[in-house]
Amino acid sequence: MVFVLTAICAISALVLAYANKATRAAREYQLLKYVEEPSIREVLKGYDNDPIKDRVEMFIGRDNKGKPIRETIFPAKKNGKLIGMAYSTEGHGYHGTIEVMVGVDMNGTITGISIMQHSETPGLGARVVEPKFRDQFKGLKLSGDLNLSTEGGKIDGVSGATYSSKGVVSAVRKALELFPRAKKEVS
Amino acid sequence: MSVAQEFTKGLWKEIPPFRLVLGLCPTLAVTTAAKNGIGMGLATTFVLVCSNLLISILRNVIPKKVRIAAYIVVIASFVVIVELTMQAYFYPLYKILGIFIPLIVVNCIILGRAEAFASKNSVIPSIADGLGMGLGFTLSLTLLGAIREILGNGTVFGIHIMWESFKPFSIMLKPPGAFICLGLILTLMNWVSSRQRSH
Repeated sequence: MVFVLTAICAISALVLAYANKATRAAREYQLLKYVEEPSIREVLKGYDNDPIKDRVEMFIGRDNKGKPIRETIFPAKKNGKLIGMAYSTEGHGYHGTIEVMVGVDMNGTITGISIMQHSETPGLGARVVEPKFRDQFKGLKLSGDLNLSTEGGKIDGVSGATYSSKGVVSAVRKALELFPRAKKEVS
Repeated sequence: MSVAQEFTKGLWKEIPPFRLVLGLCPTLAVTTAAKNGIGMGLATTFVLVCSNLLISILRNVIPKKVRIAAYIVVIASFVVIVELTMQAYFYPLYKILGIFIPLIVVNCIILGRAEAFASKNSVIPSIADGLGMGLGFTLSLTLLGAIREILGNGTVFGIHIMWESFKPFSIMLKPPGAFICLGLILTLMNWVSSRQRSH
């Protein structure tokens, strides 16, 4: 009795481990395709490749447990020529982290940003997802301009949501600081 | 009963959600569109055929006392395979069906057929039984999904078929609509069979 049940469970575990391994690449691709690609399309225009298929993993450091942190770069190409790239970074908002997808052209100028995930207050901090706020980032480079207007920059924060606005700005700055390395990695 | 009869009984005489009234949870929950009905039905059919096949092969090996546990392990393994496959190749459908794919494990039809049929019959009739029951389930879900989609959205398989000024009954896409629809189909089926019997 015990033997039969153990054998059935063991065989089942083997089969499932195999199925998991066999479908892993396809599942990762689909997840990126349906979760990340809409954001990529929003921040990068005019590419004709499949950024998901051409994605590049970049090693950017280790966390405090010594595990490697990787950044996935989605390159955008037109007629085989690299025209830009998109990748996501995180910033601290008022409630937890805000994940931002940033599109950058080859000169390091922002082509657009898109908020992928956040848990900010509805009606206040959550308004960072509105185009009115997001579009201010377009055309900026990593400079003094890329700051909230209260700190001498060119970006007007969402009123009543300084922390959320700051979170997005810091995520975008982080992304642009990575840009020189990302550029080297994909080209 | 012949193999052909084992197959066809699932399509009318013992059609699962309407005659056996089993597996109602996915029947009511995912049938907001015909496409979802087909997806759910085919996923269930696959699990049903595979588990019937395997349980029928193992029917003399599995001890009586642990049979339910053994059946559930077999069924759950196939469900996980279906889930991984859908996630890898049919992601949008996987997103819509969501929690109802892992819940195929506890679908009464599957355990019911394993216990009532596959554990007592040889391989070929068990496959026929699983296939018939599964297709019956798929047909029922697609029918229910199509009716709800037509009345609730004016479309079937995403194609607009109702006239221009048609105002969709949005209640048909909500849970009460599923109960209303299921009730009407059950009434119709019972009426048809009672007329057949009196003749």
